[in-house]
Amino acid sequence: MLPDPSAAANGEILAVKDLNVSYGASKVLFDIGLSVGPREIVACVGRNGAGKSTLLKTIAGFLKPDSGSVRSGAISLAGLKSYEIARMGIKYVPQDKKVFSDLTVRENLELGSYASKDYDWDRVTGYFPKLKQLMDRKGGYLSGGERQMLMIGRALLGRPKALLVDEPAEGLAPSIVSHLREVLRELSANTALVLVEQNLPLVCAIASRVYALKEGRVVAELADRESIRPDVCERYL
Amino acid sequence: MVNALRWWWGILLAFSLLAASRLVLPLPFINEVIIFSIYTMGCNFLLGRVGFISFGQPAYLAAGAYGTAFYLFYFGTDPYVGILVGVVSGLALSAIVGPMFVRLRSDYFALVNLALAVIIYYLMQKVLADITKGDNGLWFLTRIASNPVLDLGKPGQFFIFAMLVAVAVWALYKYLDDSIYGACCLATKVNEDKLEFIGYSNFSVRLLAFVIANTTTALAGAMYAVYLGFVSPEITSPHRAPDPVVVTILGGTGTLYGPIVGAVAYTGMKDAISKVIGNWELFIGFLLVFIMLAGEKGIWGTLAPRLEKLFSSRKARTAAGDGAGARR
Repeated sequence: MLPDPSAAANGEILAVKDLNVSYGASKVLFDIGLSVGPREIVACVGRNGAGKSTLLKTIAGFLKPDSGSVRSGAISLAGLKSYEIARMGIKYVPQDKKVFSDLTVRENLELGSYASKDYDWDRVTGYFPKLKQLMDRKGGYLSGGERQMLMIGRALLGRPKALLVDEPAEGLAPSIVSHLREVLRELSANTALVLVEQNLPLVCAIASRVYALKEGRVVAELADRESIRPDVCERYL
Repeated sequence: MVNALRWWWGILLAFSLLAASRLVLPLPFINEVIIFSIYTMGCNFLLGRVGFISFGQPAYLAAGAYGTAFYLFYFGTDPYVGILVGVVSGLALSAIVGPMFVRLRSDYFALVNLALAVIIYYLMQKVLADITKGDNGLWFLTRIASNPVLDLGKPGQFFIFAMLVAVAVWALYKYLDDSIYGACCLATKVNEDKLEFIGYSNFSVRLLAFVIANTTTALAGAMYAVYLGFVSPEITSPHRAPDPVVVTILGGTGTLYGPIVGAVAYTGMKDAISKVIGNWELFIGFLLVFIMLAGEKGIWGTLAPRLEKLFSSRKARTAAGDGAGARR
């Protein structure tokens, strides 16, 4: 791991440059560039198959890029295992909302705590008070919204420097989405967030920068509040 | 603390019943059940907690048995040291093959372990026949030194030793089940990718489980060796490979009492049926098919919720009675 003084100097939590990723022979991401600063909420929007989830999985170390670089500060994440990246404080919350169904909420949190050596559950239940009442319920018996709370809550343990959240609002009731929006906004005070989301009103309400992806390429980068609007984003999809 | 007491009472009751059965059942049968339950505990942990099905457990059983046998036949006479050598042999074998095997999943893992059992079988039977004495096996019963505290050469005292070891092994697995590590094992069984996203290495979790389980299996092998005073390649015979898996499923996969219940049921069936029917293996095969089809949760997996329901309703009735008494 060779330090990259320029990335460190920029204070970037994540810097993706010229990233190319393939599934076997089929190329999915083409020369992707992305930058995430401290306390920033960066969103990736795009239609199904645009490569948004692939991008997050690659940053999280689940997929190996063909070329390009992924850096966190001065450290290159390329070639690191996903658990090593998680231990560095870059946590991935997958899309499928599948928690460990045989484990209770408490056990799910204990897993997160033990890995990150952070037992401050009050902070987690502060964001998601409902988890307090569900401590002894098995993951398999939680609703979609409760699972999402548990997954984000568990990822928060260890005070990550970046959270990669894949489609957090998918399939959730509007009231839960609105709670989630507030939580994500609060989280960004301490943690950089990278969201992959198709819910444009949610994205535009909280994101400070939006990347529009189409067929594996970044087709637009919206970085000012005036341009981060659902109708503008829609134009690029 | 209350929970700890509750499970300790449970296991003490289970093993007390086994100990009391000595009064009515032959000692060789009970000793075999105890060793078989230790053999199955490792397999139960692999299958029930980590999701690894292994048809190669006889390989690790043989590592333990032959480790002990070599020591007692060629080098020393102390059975305790012999058992220790057997356990270390199993630990070494699983630590050597583990890093390669745990990368595989499901059917490949099952088959690669079976292949190891076949390799060890032929090594012991043919390739190393000069040392292992081939099919004749190694006989060392008369070389086992007596010990003033617990003389393992005497079946009655071996029984006490085996009980103590079985309780200790059971307690170890109970501890693992309740620990964060146990949760990691269950998590890797359910979704290995997600465990990595939290910050755990699947490889390390699986490797540790593999080594613990197969060292337990080697311990059972070492105890077989000391108990019988004899080891032959038959112990790693591939046709005995499904035994621990069958007993695990029969008892109740992933349950803590399953290995004991399964070992009692399987050894009991084998013993009882072989006395009246010549081709007992065929009959047991059919019986097992029926049991698997009737209840995939196994004996303890089926019984446990019913017993729990029975006890909780009785407790509720007692509490209601106390309440009525107090009102009166």
